[in-house]
Parts: sequence; structure tokens; C-alpha cells
Amino acid sequence: MAALSEEVLLVVKRVRQRKQDGTLYLMTERIAWGPEGKDRFTVSHLYADIRCQKISPDGKSKIQLQLVLHTGESTTFHFANESTALKDRDAAKDLLQQLLPKFKKKANKQLEEKNKMLQEDPVLFQLYKDLVVSQVISAEEFWASRLKLSSVEHSLSNNSKQEVGISAAFLADIRPQTDGCNGLKYNLTSDIIESIFKTYPAVKQKYAENVPHNLTEKEFWTRFFQSHYFHRDRINTGQQDIFSECAKQDEKGLKSMVVQGVKNPMVDLLSLEDKTLDEGYGSLTVGPNSSKTVKENSNSAIIKRFNHHSAMVLAAGLRKVDAPSDQASETSSTDGNSRDSDFFQPPIKKVKLQEAIEYEDLQNGSGPKTIALNLKKSDRYSHGPVPLQSHHYSTSQDIINSVNCIQEEISCYKPCLTRVMPSSAASSAITALSPGGLLMQAGTQQAVSQLVPTDVQSELKHLYTAAGELLRHFWSCFPVNTPFLEEKVVKMRSNLERFQSTKLRPFQEKIQREYLSTNLTSHLDEMIQAAYNKFHAWQTRRMARKT
Amino acid sequence: MASEDEVSLLVIVVDVNPIWWGQQAQREPEFNLSKCLDAVMVMANSHLVMTRTNKLAIIASHCQESHFLYPNKHWKAGDVAGDEVSSGSGDGKYELLSVANDLVAEEIRNLMARTQVKGHQTDTLLAGSLAKALCYIHRVSKELEAGQDMKSRILVSSWFPFSSAVYFCIIFVQMSMGIFGLIIYYILQVVKAAEDCALQYMNFMNVIFAAQKQNILIDACVLDSDSGLLQQACDITGGLYLKIPQKTALAQYLLWVFLPDADQRSQLVLPPSVHVDYRAACFCHRNLIEIGYVCSVCLSIFCNFSPICTTCETAFKIPLPQMMKPKKKKLKTAN
Repeated sequence: MAALSEEVLLVVKRVRQRKQDGTLYLMTERIAWGPEGKDRFTVSHLYADIRCQKISPDGKSKIQLQLVLHTGESTTFHFANESTALKDRDAAKDLLQQLLPKFKKKANKQLEEKNKMLQEDPVLFQLYKDLVVSQVISAEEFWASRLKLSSVEHSLSNNSKQEVGISAAFLADIRPQTDGCNGLKYNLTSDIIESIFKTYPAVKQKYAENVPHNLTEKEFWTRFFQSHYFHRDRINTGQQDIFSECAKQDEKGLKSMVVQGVKNPMVDLLSLEDKTLDEGYGSLTVGPNSSKTVKENSNSAIIKRFNHHSAMVLAAGLRKVDAPSDQASETSSTDGNSRDSDFFQPPIKKVKLQEAIEYEDLQNGSGPKTIALNLKKSDRYSHGPVPLQSHHYSTSQDIINSVNCIQEEISCYKPCLTRVMPSSAASSAITALSPGGLLMQAGTQQAVSQLVPTDVQSELKHLYTAAGELLRHFWSCFPVNTPFLEEKVVKMRSNLERFQSTKLRPFQEKIQREYLSTNLTSHLDEMIQAAYNKFHAWQTRRMARKT
Repeated sequence: MASEDEVSLLVIVVDVNPIWWGQQAQREPEFNLSKCLDAVMVMANSHLVMTRTNKLAIIASHCQESHFLYPNKHWKAGDVAGDEVSSGSGDGKYELLSVANDLVAEEIRNLMARTQVKGHQTDTLLAGSLAKALCYIHRVSKELEAGQDMKSRILVSSWFPFSSAVYFCIIFVQMSMGIFGLIIYYILQVVKAAEDCALQYMNFMNVIFAAQKQNILIDACVLDSDSGLLQQACDITGGLYLKIPQKTALAQYLLWVFLPDADQRSQLVLPPSVHVDYRAACFCHRNLIEIGYVCSVCLSIFCNFSPICTTCETAFKIPLPQMMKPKKKKLKTAN
């Protein structure tokens, strides 16, 4: 029933829900829908319950709006008014968009977590069903101990997310598309923009300076791509270009990088030279003073740019994420090796040299000093786990007699397989081996698991888990120090009683009806009885203390 | 129903220690070595007849050697025709069986004939026989054609008389792709004498573990008194241990309990497994103990604490009970 005091914000007629015509009402706190001609609402959802809304794509013939609730349910409304369907739907959607955020519960996340936990762990789910759904304990108690654990784990995992590195080919990946008429279209995603900023802090600085005061973002990027800074040859840099400074900075950075060099004593870059093949496969070293042609100049420019680009990408990877604080220091030394240079101070250089010279496993082993095991009576180990018994000694005469006897017997041995044993012996052996016979006594204790059907077994398992949970809550209250624990103890006792009456007794009756002779629930009864006794003792002591 | 691909090798280890059997013959003439061998042969024949692809080996475990009664080194399966017309012929028996029986009888006769009495060697070399059986199983498994499975068991039947032990070992070896079962009927005489006990014990345990690794079952059929080691062997390898109340019905017990192979046993109602005593023996008195002291250096077990380990001469501190300082109670001001 619609509460008349509710303010109706929007009414949309001709909205179908579940193939029924009706009207959609958006109130201040909820959204409701009632069928045509009827006064009451069949569908009503609080905004707080709605997780999100979805709309059907533009091209579809049916114009629909779907509400997805936190519980996972969804309700779909079909706007059937021919002329204004789209408008109606959009109006409803916009209003919802404004209203929903106001009602978003903070506890949603927790609810989702709970749901996830229940879904992932079937044992937990069963326990939940047994205890909470059947009202044995309340949901808060159930979640009290569990949620703490999972939230701690979550926060830990979130903080240790790794940073994403920069692909060296990010500029090349932009891949301009021809516009059709002599233009080029560059698709820039935020990832690419981030990569550019990380690698070229100079560009980032320019961006910060110019956008949004002087240029819009689109213009900035257009200029960027137009500038010769971006293109291969940087020879003709116009003065108007805002990026000319970047080019100069890059040159400076490259020069300082070269000057610094690589401080690793193992690597000597300067000894590398270009050696081209001469005729006859000899090598021809190009002298350092040879004049370079124009082509070679541009080639060397490209190579320089490649080297610089790679160095910047590597440096960007080494830099930490908290760039703003380092902005100043980074832009001052735009070479990427600022970190590397720190690594090769003299003591580290010595260590590096030392490492290169020595091989650990070739040196004389000076492992940890050990003490040799000194066993005095090692024959003790070879004795079996049997006590020494006095054995019967046979005299040598006995031995000789036995051997002679056997030799006589076997010398005329002929297998007579038709008379191996008397039938009486055989039948008594069979009797002994049959179930219930002499030799089969121990086996009659059939495993309980074979006597009890599996559904009874699984129900028993559920009972055990549930009882275990309740008893855990109960026993964790002791020693009872605070009034909260006192209340909890009393509550747990009543919970146990309720559990016993609602779950345990029916189960016991059921197995009695099925003539299962084994007493399956005696242990459960014992445990619960122990809890009752403890409670009783505690209560009498409390009464005694009070009086 | 075993297909052509499944080979079942049964290795029977028969203990024919002449001293023990001789004494037994004097005590109970109705059950002597001949009868025992007959029962074994019945078992062997049954096994061969069960499936065409079943194989057999019989090892006699003597106090001086372990000897293969069947198959003979010089005998090939194809040699049957023409030569052996002697015993067993005329009753229409499967030729393989008659040949096998004759072979076994001849071998045991030769074995006994060349027995020499030596006073100090009275114990049956069971561990050695088992080792030979394992090696034989291993060899036959290597000779299998591709695609053939082999399961093996070793059947050991022995009795453990307190005076003399005749060990009758029947080893059933069902060969399957690397799976061997050894059923050993053998009661350890190792419990008896001191020195060869020690050696045999270690070898025996090694054999057991090797059999376990190879998935070979060891079954034990005890004729006289229980043997802890055999129980352990059966427990570790997954075989059956049985102490027979009636020796004369040995064949019946063998056929009932030990003839089916491992797969079939799960379908049958067989004597339940005994509880095996895995307790260790202390090094000082060789008592079986449940809780004891172990030297952390040499891992020797003692029943009482001693400050010096007698095996490796390491000194240990005696653990003293912790001294608790008595808490000073606050003096309550009396009102």
C-alpha cells in the first residue's frame, strides 16, 4: 500500500512489468510499481536496497530499465508508451541516478563480503543455514568473530598491489589512423598519457604549465603530435613550438648521461666502435674524424633519440610512484641514470670487482665446523623391536638327527596331490574362515559408516558443526569477567537449549524410527550436558556470591 | 577376467630348513615337510590354472642357501615334449602342472641331498630368499612385452616354533607393470638367535620396504606362533597376515585366503587385519616401550633418562623443574 504521506517525485504511465501494464512511481525513498487499475503496489524497492540500475542499449526496440538489488535480484521495467517511452525511461534513469547515491549504504560492502564468504565456503553456508536461519543464534553473533579476520586480510592485499610498468613501445602503439582526407587521427588513452608523463617529465611539466590555462587538452596533444619534437627529425624546430624547450632539455640530458657514463667497472662502453666490413671480410674501422654525410647525421640523430627514449623508459620504471615530491629533482637531472650513478660509489665498485674475481665454489670449502658422530655400540641399531627371549638350544646330536630324518624323508618324496588333507580338516578350516568363525571375530565390528546411510551421516556432520559452533561461543565466555559476557553466557545457554530441542531431538527421533541401533548422538549429548553443568555451576556460584 | 595383458606372478618362498622340519617330523608325524610341499604344490597348480598368463616361481629357503625350485635355470617351457614321460602322465593333467610338480620334487630332493650339517647355521635365510624373490620379480617384469601389466605377491608361510622354525614361504608374485606382491609366509626366527637376528632384521626390513616401493604384497601365513616382524611386513605392504590354527588344513587356508589376488580381495570377506604392534624397543633392555627418551645425536632410544648416551657418549643436562618465585601477596589492611 502506498503511504499517502510519501511524496511522489515522478509518475510514469504505461510501464510494463512482467508483461503487465501498470504505472511506475518514484518516491523520495523508494521506487514502486502498481498494475493498471489497482491501488496497491506489487513491486516496491527502497533506494537503499538497489545496487545499480541498467538500461537497455540504444538500438533495441524494447526500452527497458533494470534495477539490480544488493541481494542479486533484478526487476525489469518495460516502457511501453509509444511516443514518450525513451523520454520516460531517461527521466526515470536520471532521477534514480540522483537519488541512489544518497541512499547507498556503507554497509553494502560488508554485505557483499558476507555473501561472498558464504558462497565460497559451503561448510560455512551450511552452518549459517543451521544456526541463523533457524533462529538458533542471531546473525550478528555469527558474523562477530568471522568478519574481523577477512577484513584484515583484504586491507593487506590491497596495499601490496604492484605498480604497472611502462611498455617501451607505448609511443609506437599509438598508431595513427588516416582520417580520410589528409589528416591523422591519434587515439590517446589515459594509459598512454600516463606513460608519456612518466617517461618524459619535461612534457608533464609543459602540460601542467599550459593546460588548462592556455590550451585545452586536445589542443595540447595536437600540438604535441604536430611538433617536430615528436617526429623523427628534430632539425627544424620552430620558435613557436612549446616543445622546443623539451627538445633542448632532452639534448642536455643525453649529454649528461653520456658524460656520466656507466660506472660499472666491468663494462667499458668506450671501447666499442663501429666496425664495418671491408672488402674481403676484413674490418674497416671508421676513423673518428671522418666527416659525416647528411644521411649519417640524421641516422645518428635517430639513434640518439632511441637511446634517449630507452633510457627514459628505464628511468621511469626505477622512479617511485610518489613523483610529485621528486618532481623538482627529476626535472633538474632529466637523465635517467640519476639512480644508477648512486649505485656505483667506490665501496660498491670494490665489491663488484671482488665478486667478479672470486668464485665461491672453487675455493677451499670452509663450511661450518661439524663434530663427527662417534658410535660405540652401533649393533644396537640392527636389533629389531623384539625383546630378547631365551631360545631353545638344540644339541648337535639333535641337529644331526633332524637333518638325517629329513633327508630320508625327502629322498623318497613324491608329490601326492590327491591326498593333501583330510576333508574334516578342510571343512573345519572353512568354518573357521567363514564370517563368525574363529578367525573372523575381529571383522564383525563393521564400521559404523557402513551401517548408517549417507544422508544420516551428512546430517550428523552438520549437527556436529553447528553444535561445535555454539559450544565454541559458549565456552569462550568463560571466565566470565564482564557483564557483557554474563549476558552472552545466559544467551548461549538458551541457544543451546533451543538447538537441542529444534535440531537434535528430531534427529534422534528420526534415527530411532529407522531402527538404527548405534547411538550416534550420545557424544553430542555429552558435550551439551557438560556445557549445561558448567553453566549450572557458574550460576550457583554467582548466586552464592551475591547472597 | 584378466585379459592377455595382465600377468600374475606368484612367488612362493618355501622354508625347508631341515633341522626344523626334522624336529617337527619327530614331534608331529602327520604334518611333515612332504605334506607341506604337497599343499604348496596344490596352491601353485591352482594359481597356474586360474589364468593362462599366470606365472609361478618357488624358492626354497634353506639354512645354507636359497634355491629356486621352479623355474629351473636349465629348463625352458618348451622342453616339455617327449622327455618327461614319467610321473603325472596318464592322468591327463595340464602338462605345465605335471612338469612343474616333477621339477619341484626333483629340486627339493637334490637340495636335501646336498645338505651338510653345520652347527652354527641353523636359521633359515629368509631375508635372502625374499631378496632373491624380489630380484626375480624385477627381472621378469623387465622381460614383459610392451603393454603387459604385472602384479606380484609373495606368499610366505612359515611357522615360528619356539624350538625350531621351519619356514615355509610361499611367495605369490603377481606381476603387473612394476607392481610386485610378495607374500611371505615366514615366521621370523630372527627373534631367536642374537647375531644372525641382527643381520637378518636389517635385511628383512630393507626387503619389506623395497617390496612396498614396488607395490608388492607380502602375505604371511603363520603356522605356529605370531611374529611381529611378519605382521609389520604384511601391514606395510598391504598383504594379509594369518595364523593358522590347524596345520593339516594348510592347503585349504592357502586356497581360501591367499589364492585371490589383491584386486579380488576387496570383494571377498577375508580375515580382518590384526593390530600391529609398532612399538620400538629400547636399546638398553630391548623392552617394547611407548614413551621413551631419544638421544638427539644418535637417535638411540632409551627407556630411562641417563645423563650420558651410551651409544654416542653425548652428555645431556638433567631437566630440572622450573622454580617459581612465590608471589608476594599484598597484605590486606584489616578493617
